[in-house]
Amino acid sequence: MKRLWTATRPLMNIAYPLRGVDGCRVAVQRARSAPRDTANQSRALRDIKGRARDWSLAVVCLGLVAFVEFASTQGNQAANRQTVWPPRLSGPAPGEVQVLPVQGKVHVIVGAGSNITVQAGDDGVLMVDTGLASMSPKVLAALKMISTRPLRYIINTTEFDEYVGGNAAIADTGEIIPFRAPDYTAGPQGALDITRASVISYYTLLHRVAGPAGKAPRIPEEGWPDNTYSIAQKRLYFNDEPVIITHLPSNTDGNSVVLFRKSDVVSAGGLLDLTTYPVIDVAAGGSIQAIVDALNGLIDITVPASHAGGGTLVIPGHGRIADHAEVVYYRDMTTIIRDRVQDMIKKGMTLAQVKAARPSRDYDTRYGRQTGTWTTDMFVEAVYQSLKR
Amino acid sequence: MTLLVGLVALWDAPAFAQVDISGLWRPLPRNQDGSGMTGDAAGVPLSNEGQWRAQSWSPDDFDTAEWVCRPHVWDYSLEGPLSAMRLWTETDEASQKIVAYRGHINQEEQETTIWMDGRPHPPENAVHTWSGFSTGEWDGDTLVVTTTHVKEAYIRRSGLMRSDRTAVRTRWRRMGDFLQATVILYDPVLLNGPYIRTTMMWVHDPAMPMFPYPCEEATETAVPRGSVPHFLPGQTRLPGLNPKLADRFGTPYGARVGGPETMYPEYIAKMRAMPKPAVTAPPGSDGP
Repeated sequence: MKRLWTATRPLMNIAYPLRGVDGCRVAVQRARSAPRDTANQSRALRDIKGRARDWSLAVVCLGLVAFVEFASTQGNQAANRQTVWPPRLSGPAPGEVQVLPVQGKVHVIVGAGSNITVQAGDDGVLMVDTGLASMSPKVLAALKMISTRPLRYIINTTEFDEYVGGNAAIADTGEIIPFRAPDYTAGPQGALDITRASVISYYTLLHRVAGPAGKAPRIPEEGWPDNTYSIAQKRLYFNDEPVIITHLPSNTDGNSVVLFRKSDVVSAGGLLDLTTYPVIDVAAGGSIQAIVDALNGLIDITVPASHAGGGTLVIPGHGRIADHAEVVYYRDMTTIIRDRVQDMIKKGMTLAQVKAARPSRDYDTRYGRQTGTWTTDMFVEAVYQSLKR
Repeated sequence: MTLLVGLVALWDAPAFAQVDISGLWRPLPRNQDGSGMTGDAAGVPLSNEGQWRAQSWSPDDFDTAEWVCRPHVWDYSLEGPLSAMRLWTETDEASQKIVAYRGHINQEEQETTIWMDGRPHPPENAVHTWSGFSTGEWDGDTLVVTTTHVKEAYIRRSGLMRSDRTAVRTRWRRMGDFLQATVILYDPVLLNGPYIRTTMMWVHDPAMPMFPYPCEEATETAVPRGSVPHFLPGQTRLPGLNPKLADRFGTPYGARVGGPETMYPEYIAKMRAMPKPAVTAPPGSDGP
């Protein structure tokens, strides 16, 4: 079409002023209004010739206009016409990852299990979560697309496999800047392994991934957090911005969320999962009340730019990049389901009766699953059990 | 000759295929979508999920601190009140082609960009906004806009929602000094079929003033922070969803809960056979 456009440009320059009524209608009117004089044969013949010429001009004119319109408007856009409805949106193919810019110094890698937040700058690279172990080669390749600076920190928000699985392989590629001479051995700080990235988490997350004594750990020891905290917050200043790690128990008692204060991005981990209901591991200290409280805490640190949207962006554990409004909708959904199940418990309903009543039924098409590792049934049961405690 | 004149008329139409829709547009008064009765969903193709959502909705939702600044989203604004609108073009200087139409609606300052340069829609994991991401193409003299990446939002301000998986098709058509928009919502979650609104109309008004409509986030409202107003299942107090109450039109309760079949004229015959509530809703409780 571009070639056609170029080749016919001179023709179109001539025809373009004729577009519409003011061009062709004049020619047609002239043809229609030519005087008729049937009394004089020679004049009549001239009239016929003249009218034929006028009509020919009118037809040529109309032809040109039709062509110009096709080439300049419809023709140009035919190539862009969407044939699939609703439009299919692209995501990473199975087994592949996709890098998306978020804002400021923050990117997200999707498709590796959980979403992986990456903050990069002159100080190096900081990751939040590492995805599944099987995806580590793809994640490392994606990291190189974002920055070639050394990986310094990994922060684990959530203890589930798709968040911590890549710890060992990915941490091993990093290096931490030593804050003591390399041969300093006095005290625990001197024992830090500087040939790998430092892995930060809330302390209970370390306990869980290490597993109980005598049993196999959930992830290899090389991937265990070596930089834990046990109070409300841990803070870093990295790549010229504050990085505030806040303990917000929700899925378990070990969740953290990470605020990049200048970039204005929060990495929420498993607390916010826009693809399904939140996973609640009651045995590990998770509860629906903790989820609701943590979502309210997350709302407190996300500031919309205008009319409840934009501003602080939130990277969920799974699903698309979000903002204040998405967190509020998710909070609303979890709160409403909590209230319904609580009401059913007050009425003395059993777990089976609660499940049969489908307290999440208006959200199931959007967030529910019938199969997989976290089904609607498991969610309702976890809500029930955590409220019964 | 008549045939040729006819052809002239036919060929005149595509000559105006790309009409100019830019300018200031003043909304013309018209009935808003629906009867206005709080809870009424007649004519809206709600899915079961959409009906259940509507039945748990409480008007106090609008007083939740986080939602005080929630806007009428772009596709709703075209229907809602005070939708004074400015449309303008973004042009590529080198080719003088229109790259995009930009739009600003007075009501809560919602803005849109309709990309005309053939760019693809963003990946599925890109952020969703109130207006979504839009691309446009001309279908004769009608600008057809495809919108994805929208946030969840209301269809009517009484609990009828569309989900964040909605795709919106908007058809803009200028007729002289009048502009019309037809909005079609496709939502696989809360609707059971496309929902079409065709009532929007504006008149070109170059002298129309536009005013700012900022919104400062509310910190304290009547709703305690952290709580979410809603009705438990079966306990809604909306008059439109009370089977015992009649609205001013005597609409049967079964029709008021909405659903795909309530969209079609054939449903009127069905409604005649439905029981009508005997008690009229108290004055003022069935909307303006």
